[in-house]
Formats: sequence, C-alpha cells, structure tokens
Amino acid sequence: MSVDTTTSADSGGTPGNPGSDVESVVAIFRRVLESTEVTPDSDFFLLGGDSLIATRVLSAIARSHGVELSFDDFVLAPTPQGLAEQIATAR
Amino acid sequence: MSYHRLNELVNTVAARLGANPGVVAVLAAHTPETVVGLLGVLAAGGAYCPVDPAFPPSRQEAMLSAVDCRTVLGADPGMADQLGLKYLELDHLGADPAESDQSAEITGPPAPDTPAYTLFTSGSTGQPKPVVTPRRAISATVHSLRELFGLTPEDRVLQFASLNWDTCFEEILPTLTAGATLVLDAEAHSGSFPRFLRMVEREQITVLDLPTAFWHELVLHLAEDRLALPACLRLLVIGGEAANPARLDDWSRLDTGRIRLLNTYGCTETTLITHAVDLHGPEAPSPGWDWSSGTRAPIGRPLPHVVQQISEQGELLIGGPALALGYLGLPEATEARFTVLDGERRFRTGDRVSSSPDGVLTHQGRLDHEIKVRGIRVDPAEVEAHIASHPGVHAVAVVGTTLAGRSALVAYLVPRTTATAGTLDADVRSYLHGRVPGHLVPSRITVVPQLVFTASGKVDRAGSHLRHATH
Repeated sequence: MSVDTTTSADSGGTPGNPGSDVESVVAIFRRVLESTEVTPDSDFFLLGGDSLIATRVLSAIARSHGVELSFDDFVLAPTPQGLAEQIATAR
Repeated sequence: MSYHRLNELVNTVAARLGANPGVVAVLAAHTPETVVGLLGVLAAGGAYCPVDPAFPPSRQEAMLSAVDCRTVLGADPGMADQLGLKYLELDHLGADPAESDQSAEITGPPAPDTPAYTLFTSGSTGQPKPVVTPRRAISATVHSLRELFGLTPEDRVLQFASLNWDTCFEEILPTLTAGATLVLDAEAHSGSFPRFLRMVEREQITVLDLPTAFWHELVLHLAEDRLALPACLRLLVIGGEAANPARLDDWSRLDTGRIRLLNTYGCTETTLITHAVDLHGPEAPSPGWDWSSGTRAPIGRPLPHVVQQISEQGELLIGGPALALGYLGLPEATEARFTVLDGERRFRTGDRVSSSPDGVLTHQGRLDHEIKVRGIRVDPAEVEAHIASHPGVHAVAVVGTTLAGRSALVAYLVPRTTATAGTLDADVRSYLHGRVPGHLVPSRITVVPQLVFTASGKVDRAGSHLRHATH
C-alpha cells in the first residue's frame, strides 16, 4: 500500500519537498487514527494516538520516505509538521 | 556480563541493603543495573517494588506509602529525599571489590511465604492496589516456564517488557535460572520495526516475549512488506490481551512455520503465566485452527503447578502455590477476590472461560467492567474516580472501546458549569497526566450535556457511549 499521496498542484510538491512530506504525514495520521480531524499541527497523542499506534506511523514513514525514525524522534515532534522536518533532517 | 560478575554485583547490592530490608523500591529502567537491583533485593530477603520514573510524583508517593517502603534503589536521590526514604545508589557498583566479598550468607533462605515483589493493579477507588507475591509463587511458576519455553544455555532471550510490570520476570527469571543469555538492547524500544528486526538478527535472539498488542503491530508490519523474521528466532511468546484472529491469519500466511507462537494467560494475582498453548508452529496441534473464519484464540491449558476450577457461571478460579498473598492493607478487597472453597484458597479471575474436550480454555469475556488497555488491566471506576475529583466535572462515565483497531479508554464528562465547558476536555487531560500513569488517561475525552442512566439510577456506561460516541 502506498501512503505517499499524490500531492496537489498548489503545494507544488515533488517527493522530498517539505510541503509534500507534511501532506503525506497528514494522510498517514488520518489512516492510522481513522480520523479526518488531522491538520499539519495536530498532536498525535491528543488525537488518541499512543506509542503502539505510533509504530504504524513510523513503519509508514519508513516505507514511503525511506527514513527510519525512532519513537524518541516521534515524541519530540508528534505532529505532521514536526515529523516532516525530522524526515527532511534525516534524509 | 558474565554470571560470575552478575553474582558479585547482586551480592554487593544485597550487602548494602542488609538482611530483610522489607519493601525496596527500584526506579526501574531497561538497564542491567535494574536487573541487578531486582536480584539484589531478592538475595537480601526483601520485596522488589518497581517504580516507573515516568509516573507522576503523586502516584509514586501513593504507591510507596501503600506498601510501607523504606528504601529506594536507583538513580534519583532527590525522590528518596522527598519521600523520606533511605537511598542506595545502583550505578558504580563493585568499584570496591571488598564489598562484594562481605556479602554472601547475609540471610538464610527466606520462608516460602516471604513477599518477593509487590506490584499494583487498578482499583475502583482511584488508589493503586498493591498485590503481594510470595517467593514460593515465583519458584513454582519459573520452574514451569523454563520447561514450557524449553530454555537451554544456548538461548538468547530479549528483555523487552517494562521492568515495572510482572511480564519482565517471565523473561528474566527463567532465562537466568537456565544459564541462558538475557539481552538488553535500546533498539528493542525504538518503535521502528526495521530497527527492531535488525537488532533481533544482530543479537541472534532465539526467544521473544512480546505484549500481544505489540505483536499485532509487528505482524501488520511483516505482512504489509511480506517480510520474514530472522532465522535465529525459535519461540515467540505473546500475552496480555486476546490475540486477534486476523493477525493470526496473517501470521500463518507468513514464513513462520518453524517458530513456536505461544499464547499465554495469567493475572498479577496468580503470578505471570498460568495457561499457555502453541497457536502456530512446530508444537501446535495438527490440524491447526482456521483463523480466517474469526475463531477466538484459546488461552490454553493450565501449567503443571496450576490448580484450576471453573465455576457454574463459567468463571475461571485459580489455586495452587502461585497465588498472591493478597492486596496489602485491603482485607475486604482481598476477601472478595481470594475465596476459600472446600478449604482451599482460590483466586477469582473475573474471566469467563469455556473448555474444549481436550482441556484447552478459551476466554469468553469478563464478569465485571474491567478492561485491558495496552495489555494492562484497568477498572474504569478508577479512571472515573480521578476525573470526578477535577473541580470542573459534574459527572463522568469511562468505557473501553476500540479505536484504530486497538483497545482504548474513552471518557464522557458533564461540566459543572457551562462557563468552563469549552476547555474542560483539555484541562482534564492535563490534570490526569499530572496524577496517573499514561495507560489510565483516556484516548478520547468528550464533553457532553448529560450521561445516560439505568432504570435503577446508576450511570449507564455503555448507554452513554452509544449515545455520544462520534465513531
């Protein structure tokens, strides 16, 4: 399954640019939390996520972005915006 | 670390504690020092009481005063000071070789009913409920587990479970009493399955003991990428909650035939594991179960040291040497759960079970409201008691439900005044984080105008959930 969303024209995204990373992490959050209430600054834990569901996000990021973040990285920045920055740093 | 060195360090801790130190709190982390602390407390004849450094201070204080703890081992002298406890350092052990020599025979072997450890379960009053487990319970259980796991000195067992719950003892004690190798590795807790799997391979782990909820996630990861587990792995033990038939179906379609998948069941009050069954792999019954039709996974047969009885209502009762002594300082709660039947003590598990003709039990639900969150038993009344103590809350109902395919708590609150209603959900969440461990904080907190009541006027948890659930 691919979670790398086809980025829309207005974000101008090619894979690897921060805007499309944010969008793809928003999509991952929506899928694993089964919630549509996700925005780039949504806190994963306030949306009902926990450390185990976080592993699904980390697996999805590893799959779609080729970056293996850890739970410690996740806790430092548990929002799509924060994780997109971590992905960019780790790349 | 060699067994020789471990022995020296354990004796050093025991000597520093002195004989019969009573309940010793250990600030528990995934470090060899914590394992040394555990064994040192046991060697001195004391009772190990793990304290999670991440718990809010008020919870730590409530735990330690409930068990009359006088000494704390670990890395935080500040906490000991604050609570008026004697503090012993766990780092830099064995710097003085003379110290480990003076140890050895500081006590004779403690009596079989001497407490070995004290752990906490959820209680309806909001106060943690200490379970006291005697030494005989551990020796009987660990003996059965060594056999069940088929451990040999060649095995390499990962230490995965939190040192704050009893599951870690089923990893540590059978391993170290079989002369096998206990592996501690930070990558086990990275939350990244690719890193976890590389670690299993690098460390040549032969035995994994994982919470069922974590195993579910591992299987999802393996199935999605069609990955195999490293060839070194021969036994995977799961337990803590019901194994999901869909994940079992996924597992049986992966290249896992050589790995024993062992499902286990047990309560804190009956010590680690009382029932087990191979669900898949070389020792599973043939023909196996067909998980694709949603068959409930059995919890298994009683281990050799376990006495079991099934009541007329189908409740599983446990007897034998593995029973806890009771709930410390709570005689009524103890009497309610530890009953005497025909002159024998029996623990009422609260779990309804059915038995197949060949004696394999299957869990059929609870007789009370208790639920499992991340494999930990939670009484919703405990969470309600904490939430109700918030000044902005008029009434509250807490229920267990499934969110994102996982067991979770949700809370429905009625505000005391409409003035504070707007931020009450966030206020209550941070209020709880300051008072209770994370597993007691509901995943969703929803402010509602009113709860649903039963005909007799009690809060109807399920009815409130049905009316107000958004999903």
